[in-house]
Amino acid sequence: MQVQEILNILFEPYIFIPLVFPGLIAAFIVLLIIIWLERKIAAKVQLRYGPLYIIKPLGGVIQTVADLIRYLFQEPIIPKDVDKLAFLLTPVFLFGLAYLPVVVIPIGPSYYAFRSDLSLLIALALTTLAPIFTVLMGWASNNKFSLIGSVREGYLVISYEIPIFLSALSMAILYGTLDLVEIAEAQRGIWGIFLNPVAAVNMLVLMYMSTSKFPFEIPEAESEIVAGPYTEYGGILYGLVMGASYVKLYVLSLVYSILFLGGWNPLPQSMIGNPFISGSVLFIKSFILVAFGAFLRAVYPRFRIDQAIGLGWRISLPLSLISIFISLLLVMGGVRFVY
Amino acid sequence: MSIDRTVRHVKAIITGTKYLFSGPRMTIMYPEDIEELPEGYRGMIEYDWNSCIKCSLCAMICPADAIKMYVSKEESEKEKKIVKRPGINYARCIFCGFCVDICPTNSLTFSKVHDMAYYTYEEHFYPPDKFAEGIKHVHKGRRVRVILDEKRGIKYEPVD
Repeated sequence: MQVQEILNILFEPYIFIPLVFPGLIAAFIVLLIIIWLERKIAAKVQLRYGPLYIIKPLGGVIQTVADLIRYLFQEPIIPKDVDKLAFLLTPVFLFGLAYLPVVVIPIGPSYYAFRSDLSLLIALALTTLAPIFTVLMGWASNNKFSLIGSVREGYLVISYEIPIFLSALSMAILYGTLDLVEIAEAQRGIWGIFLNPVAAVNMLVLMYMSTSKFPFEIPEAESEIVAGPYTEYGGILYGLVMGASYVKLYVLSLVYSILFLGGWNPLPQSMIGNPFISGSVLFIKSFILVAFGAFLRAVYPRFRIDQAIGLGWRISLPLSLISIFISLLLVMGGVRFVY
Repeated sequence: MSIDRTVRHVKAIITGTKYLFSGPRMTIMYPEDIEELPEGYRGMIEYDWNSCIKCSLCAMICPADAIKMYVSKEESEKEKKIVKRPGINYARCIFCGFCVDICPTNSLTFSKVHDMAYYTYEEHFYPPDKFAEGIKHVHKGRRVRVILDEKRGIKYEPVD
């Protein structure tokens, strides 16, 4: 009886979504799998094998678990001249804020932690908080590489944040709502990516830019500035800061799937009410996006900081304005969604 | 201009995808598969105790000072004069093969072993008696031969 009650409480949306799926536990599993997958994909493209020897038949899939155990038992080193409070707390905030936007993400038309008229805005606004802590981290570390890395992050933030908001909001204009549930439901017929491909491509690129995936892996450029803002971190704190950008990408991918890839559509009417099936569809879509971000590591070299900023201001900003224009044209041309 | 660039981005991603799904793998699975080494491979050096004439040319030619002449106590007492024999330090050896080339009686030869590991620094030293014992390292893996293939790049074929 007690177990039943506990399960009932666990499956309440306001507990289940932030904590289990697509929240903390799902994000953690994505994190463990995607880091392994990133190494594996890069290895395959470069004609290698990648991590292999831990559970060989499965291609070393728990390599990341082994790494995590190593991180957990590593001696935590706090350098002498760091700002201790900021140094210790920023990884926690960074990771927490990276996954926080998940609370507004619905995994079914009637299964959400909380529904708001402004949930798209809330999700986007919460994702913008994490870079502040990256900059703080660079400042607190008292290290030239950290500082350079965090200043680079600051440069990037101002160049991607405006276009990413504009492209997301162009879809809000198109659907006539900021509510993520309604946005997903509006795509029961045709998906957003086909209605406004400019916004879709633009936001995809900016999404990878905001989580420093490969062509834009500028803040933590390994070959230039050791590990950027994360230079002074070791052990589980490094695990947290490294995981934060993956989790942020995962959360942004969820938002992207809802905005452009139809959320839980296409599903037959009988299955759409089941939050596990609709959630799985959403999860698979966003996982493919995250995996594509991991795949880009194998394809691209790193852009210079001026190239990335130039991309943000000279290409993405006009494209996002164009996407708003397209949305307005579509709305004026008579595209209406009924909820 | 920017369309050209976009096309190039797309091409790069397509090429990456092609390799992701169809590319061969060039890795040799080292402990399981051992590459068959060619004739004249400069591996670790083997020393023949009997044919050595103790000329010490190997110690003189050695550019890395890896080979040194060690006083052989037993022989010195037997022959009533100082007898020196070469010993090698693999922490210094650069595998240049000068010693093998200069040896007038061919008592220094190459083995095909190059992958030894030592627990301590002292184990790198091979004084004459240990040097004469030879390399006792045995590869347990399957022997493979490297083949250059037009389409696949590098292929490995088992040698029987």
